[in-house]
Amino acid sequence: MALQQNKSALNDEKLVRSAQRGDMDAFEELVARHRDKIYARAFSMMRSEDEALDVSQEAWVKGWQRLKQFQGESSFVTWMTRIVINLCLDQLRKQKRQKAESIEQLAEDAGGVERQMPVVTTNPTEGLERRELRARIDRALNQLSYEHRTVLILHEFEELEYKEIAKRMQCSIGTVMSRLFYARRRMANLLASFKRDELSP
Amino acid sequence: MKPEQELELQAYLDGELSERAARRVADWMAMDPEAQALAAELRMTKTALAGNDPELAVPESRDFYWSKIRRVIESAPPAEPNPDPGWLVAWRKYLVPLSSLALVAILAIGIARFSGITGSRDPWMNLTEVESLSEHIASHTFRSRSENVFVVWISPQDQVPEETPATEEEDDIVIQ
Repeated sequence: MALQQNKSALNDEKLVRSAQRGDMDAFEELVARHRDKIYARAFSMMRSEDEALDVSQEAWVKGWQRLKQFQGESSFVTWMTRIVINLCLDQLRKQKRQKAESIEQLAEDAGGVERQMPVVTTNPTEGLERRELRARIDRALNQLSYEHRTVLILHEFEELEYKEIAKRMQCSIGTVMSRLFYARRRMANLLASFKRDELSP
Repeated sequence: MKPEQELELQAYLDGELSERAARRVADWMAMDPEAQALAAELRMTKTALAGNDPELAVPESRDFYWSKIRRVIESAPPAEPNPDPGWLVAWRKYLVPLSSLALVAILAIGIARFSGITGSRDPWMNLTEVESLSEHIASHTFRSRSENVFVVWISPQDQVPEETPATEEEDDIVIQ
C-alpha cells in the first residue's frame, strides 16, 4: 500500500522511465491511472464489454513488451490508445471476414445512401446536459457499422488526419472521406431522431 | 450537389484542403445555400462530438484487472537475447560508404591506366570510337596528352563497310 501511494505521487514520465527499467509496480500504477480511458476506447470500437476487456488487457501486455520503444514523442496515454486502436482494428477485421455483410452495409459501401438523408437544420443536441449528450452519442455510435464508427472515432475523438486514418484502416483517403461523410450525416440524423422521440408523447 | 463537392466541402471544414482549394470552396459556399445548410449540419455534428467521447469505467476492480495483465506478462517467455549485433550493425553502417569508396578507387585505377595508354608513344592506341547519335554519321576521336591534342573525325556512315542486306521482312518493318 505504501509502495502504491509512493508511485501515485509520480508523474507518467517518471513512471514510464521506471517501468522501462523493469519496474512492474510503476507499470501497474500507469495501468491503474489510464485503464478506464483505454477500456473506453476499446469499448467504443468493439461495442462489447467482454471484448473490450480482453482487448484492453492485451493492449497493456503489448504496452509492457514494447515499452522500450516508447520515446516520449506523444504522451504515454496517447501511445497506449494507438496500441489499443490497432488491436481493435485487427480484431474487427478478423470478425468482418467471418461475418456476412448486412444489406445496409453493402448499401453504405456502394455510396449514395447519405444523399437520401435530409439535412438536419435544427441542432438536436442543443440544451442537452453533457452526460445526456454523451449517452446519445454512444447510442448513435452503436447503430453505425464498424467502418463508419471507427472512422468517426479516429477523426473526431483521436483527431487523426485523413491520411493517418487511411493508413490505420488500410484503405484509400477517398474511402476515408466518403465513410466519414456518411458517418457524420447518419450521426446527425440519429441525434435528430432521438430528439424527436423525446418530444413525441 | 455532386458527391465530389460534398466531400470537398467536408475536407474544407476539416482543414484538409490546400489554401487555394479552400478559397475556392469558401467562395462557392458563400453563393450556394444548399452547401451552407450541409456545412452547418457537418459542423454541428463535429461540435457535438468534440470532447464528448463516451466515458466508461472498467467493470472490474483495479487488482483483478491488473492480475490478469500481470499473469500474461509473467507467463510470456522472456525475449530471446539477440546475438550481439554490434559488429554487424557497425559493418552495415559503413557498408554503403565503403562500397562507394571501393567503386571510386576502381574507377580511379581504370582511368589512371587509361591515361597511361593515352600517354603512350603509340598514337594508334589513342584511337577510339565514340558513340554517334546519328545513324548516318560515324565519329572517331584521338587524344594525346603529351601533344595536348584532341581530334574528332566525323565521316559519313556509308564509308563504313556495308552491313548485310536487310531481309524482306526487315524491310517491311522499316516501311511500317
